[in-house]
Amino acid sequence: MSSRTKRQIIVYAIVCLGFLLVPTFIDDAFILNKYSRYLALGILAIALSLSWGYTGILNLGQAASFGLGSYCMAMALKLRTVPVHTGAEGLPDFMVWNNVESLPWFWQPFHSLSLALILGIAIPVVFSMLLGWFIFRGRVTGVYVAIITLAVLVVVNLLIIDQQRFTGGFNGITDLAQLEVFGLTFDAYGSSSYYLIAGALTVCLFTAFAITKSKVGLILQAVRDHENRVRYFGYDVAHYKIFALSVSAGIAGVGGMLYTIVMEFASPTFLSVPLSLSVVIWVAVGGRASLLGAALGAIIVTGMQGALSESETFLETWSLIMGFAFVLVVLFLPKGLAGAVEAIYERVFGGEKKIEEPDSKPTTSLPKRSAEAGGAE
Amino acid sequence: MTSESNGHLVLKDVVIDFNGFRAVDGLNLNVSKGELRCLIGPNGAGKTTALDMICGKAKPTAGVISFEGTVLNTLEEHAIARCGIGRKFQVPSVFKELTVLENLDVARCKQTGIRYNILRFSSGADREDLEKLAELVGLEDHLDTPAGYLSHGQTQWLEFALLLAQDPELILMDEPTAGMTTQETKKTADLFTRLKGRHTLIVVEHDMGFVKEIGETISVMHQGRLLAEGSVSEIEQNQEVRVAYLGSGGISGA
Repeated sequence: MSSRTKRQIIVYAIVCLGFLLVPTFIDDAFILNKYSRYLALGILAIALSLSWGYTGILNLGQAASFGLGSYCMAMALKLRTVPVHTGAEGLPDFMVWNNVESLPWFWQPFHSLSLALILGIAIPVVFSMLLGWFIFRGRVTGVYVAIITLAVLVVVNLLIIDQQRFTGGFNGITDLAQLEVFGLTFDAYGSSSYYLIAGALTVCLFTAFAITKSKVGLILQAVRDHENRVRYFGYDVAHYKIFALSVSAGIAGVGGMLYTIVMEFASPTFLSVPLSLSVVIWVAVGGRASLLGAALGAIIVTGMQGALSESETFLETWSLIMGFAFVLVVLFLPKGLAGAVEAIYERVFGGEKKIEEPDSKPTTSLPKRSAEAGGAE
Repeated sequence: MTSESNGHLVLKDVVIDFNGFRAVDGLNLNVSKGELRCLIGPNGAGKTTALDMICGKAKPTAGVISFEGTVLNTLEEHAIARCGIGRKFQVPSVFKELTVLENLDVARCKQTGIRYNILRFSSGADREDLEKLAELVGLEDHLDTPAGYLSHGQTQWLEFALLLAQDPELILMDEPTAGMTTQETKKTADLFTRLKGRHTLIVVEHDMGFVKEIGETISVMHQGRLLAEGSVSEIEQNQEVRVAYLGSGGISGA
């Protein structure tokens, strides 16, 4: 293990520990709920960093996986609501209003919570595998991938809005029960939900990190740099890209499920174009080639958005300020905040290293990135 | 021509048609195991296209390309590479954001599946092997340098190292000495002589001095066909070849 990898693990672990310790300092339920929401969106950003930052697939439909996950969770929780919210024979209220007579077949599996949790990951994964199969077997690359994924997102979004009888349409699925696992209740405004989400973020972050550090991760980065060259080494590029897209979809699905828990509803806005494009902004701000950077980017940007839009002074201008901040980052920090932290680290500690090793061979004047250098990533 | 079954690499009546333009038009080539074959010819003769068809970058319109008895015509690039065929392109093709060491790790591709590679993390023993390779091409001081920061010459050497890491039976090289200094060309010639015998090599080259130094059998292509084949002296004396290269001073003057 290189010392850079070790340092990354330490930084990742400290940040995750920091997230997990937040409830010990904050006991305001409203603020904790807000932070839970940011962390759930952080998971979504990790997913995009894996496909965009590491593999070069700009998936503008990332919110589709997120939304599918959130609807899976919402369907399961809807079926668990107390009878006051449901119509005859346990039918969800909106179905009663829409004259649906019996629970449709695709709602049936969600009676089982464990099955619903599996489907919340499996449905986005299988969906992305199919989509990836068509895109990458056909060797579609670059901007066309972005256009296709965006178009697919719009289709899924319209489909959900259109099928109001089964999905609640524009209103989404509301009035949900609280998630209960092993006798534990996850109240959206309690610390239990926060711990669940912070724990899930830690697991997703380290899973994605392990993938990027494996040889598969190396090959994915090679695909990002020079896709065609990778083929002539015997690697099936389409397989690797489908893999990256599917894993990323699974992580986004987890984020979506958790988001439903904190929001207490699922809505078509969870798989809308504006959300999907926002993810790109968060990841760009945080640093797309850093998983932790992407997660922090999501938390910082959505946090700032929340703070600005709530304050009276910026009530009218907050979106302008956010846009300006984004332009600044893109102009001056092309590798995002993570890239900036790394550059600062290199300048501070990279200099020291030279003094420690005065006898290091003078080689060339080529700019040299030391393997030791590296902050957040 | 020998029959397809007993050949190492065999191209039989290979044609490629780009919307009516036949870049390669009935090419026959037979390369035996361990041979170093130079492919020369004037610009537009179809040399690079011939390499493209062997490694799968372009698909032949007609004819048969086979390697060790396997017909390559319809296979995808990665499937052809898995048969033991490696390619060095004319334009430097390395992974710019990966370090030299990481480039070499990608090139070591005996196992190409996701299931195998997902559980593989680089270990010390692996690193040692790769460091030796880097040393062989003089990049031992740049192990952790991103390949994008290397000079043109160094990039060429990294590409040779990538091929060594890949260790294919058949190596296809497109103008390996383009842009190299005399000294570097000399070093390349040494490397080729060392590769000869263990690997089969097909080299497309314009530098006749280099060809003379490394070449055993030379195949001359002209207008998509094989014009002549033989030793350096045979080719130099061949009247048709002189004409193809516009007479001047034979191939040496090309």
